[in-house]
Amino acid sequence: MIRIEKLSKSFGPVEVLKDIDLHVRPGEVVVMIGPSGAGKSTLLRCMNYLEVPTSGRVIVNGNELSTDEEVLNRARLNIGMVFQRFNLFPHLTVLENITLAPVRLLKEELVAARERAAVLLERVGLADKKDAYPSQLSGGQQQRVAIARALAMNPKVMLFDEPTSALDPEMVGEVLAVMKNLTADGMTMVIVTHQMKFAREVANRVLFIADKKICEAGSPKELFDNPQELRTREFLSKIM
Amino acid sequence: MNFDYDLVMRALPLLITGAGITVEITVLSVALGICIGLIAGIARVSRFKPLQLVTACYVNFFRGTPLLVQIFIIYFLLPLITGHRMEPMVVAVTACGINSGAYIAEIFRAGIQSIDEGQMEAGRSLGFSWLETMRYIIVPQAFKRVLPPLGNEFICLLKDSSLVSVIGFEELTRRGQLIIARTYASFEIWTCVALIYLAMTMLISQLVAYLERRYALDDTH
Repeated sequence: MIRIEKLSKSFGPVEVLKDIDLHVRPGEVVVMIGPSGAGKSTLLRCMNYLEVPTSGRVIVNGNELSTDEEVLNRARLNIGMVFQRFNLFPHLTVLENITLAPVRLLKEELVAARERAAVLLERVGLADKKDAYPSQLSGGQQQRVAIARALAMNPKVMLFDEPTSALDPEMVGEVLAVMKNLTADGMTMVIVTHQMKFAREVANRVLFIADKKICEAGSPKELFDNPQELRTREFLSKIM
Repeated sequence: MNFDYDLVMRALPLLITGAGITVEITVLSVALGICIGLIAGIARVSRFKPLQLVTACYVNFFRGTPLLVQIFIIYFLLPLITGHRMEPMVVAVTACGINSGAYIAEIFRAGIQSIDEGQMEAGRSLGFSWLETMRYIIVPQAFKRVLPPLGNEFICLLKDSSLVSVIGFEELTRRGQLIIARTYASFEIWTCVALIYLAMTMLISQLVAYLERRYALDDTH
């Protein structure tokens, strides 16, 4: 589904990722953990070229991403993304947030798009909020709308960039519950998170990212209960 | 000193129709200015360097030279380009619109840059191109934020449109001058002209305040 080969990324003189290889299989849920600034989010953002790698290849759904606008815009239709800070469109209602892209980009009929949006809102537990503006919603509700907005494009893969980090603690659960539902549906997901309990529950594979590379990878059981690398053990002992 | 009310009442119809022409120039110029300003404002934030440069030159030239001089230049230049004499209305709207476009470009640039970067990222991640994201997501939000400075520009332009009287175009100021040339009632007529301008600018202020209130209902973001 996503294949990354020899990916490196520098911001000016600062190298944040070096020679990353990764293959995410269809239906797989991959969770990336690691210390702040280790490049987890950068790696995730390279998967839809919001961040353009300095070198290396990213192949999503059989298409290699490039800086060519047309290629990129088409490829992104299949890649949903959920941001730490939601990034809902504040001038549009919840329903309009969800239908904008399907109507404009997939040329869906407005009526059909609205019906589908209502179904998605039902799924994230916000059926009664369709006419609200984002500013009228709590953080947890906004993030659930953001998930529905991404799902409305019927993406093949969903990227989550610390989806609960900007939320008050009591709202984290509702967002994680929606994400957990998605994994049950077989959605391919790549998630950057600090929620270790959640990672353990939903991940097929956990990647520990530190020092510009994937330091260690394995099933949640292997990685959390029996980490091989010293760096991983250090990190886990600090947060557990 | 006597204030000649009779004379004012007789002059009023002429002044009012002149004010109508002033409104016409202003509305058309603002419309032209918004079109030019929106395009130039978006061009200034694009990543395409030549476009940035061209629009920067445009903005600097028209902000950096007096409108009066620009009106003369366009008055003499337009016929040379098109090959025939231009209607004063065309000259007036062209000059005021292009001038105003430079200021409005800066207003839009600031408005666009004030929108959170996450909005562009969200739009792009859904598959919208840069321009589509501008159109559907960034510019509609920027528009609301720039309403107050845009209203300000509207008011400035209404007053500055008096400068086109120099090319003999009969808007409000020119009408006043012509009436004074016949009646010598400078004080009465200039007072009257000033009050008509004031009434019009206050009306615009109210209109802008109303629009701000209406759009503020949508979101408080």
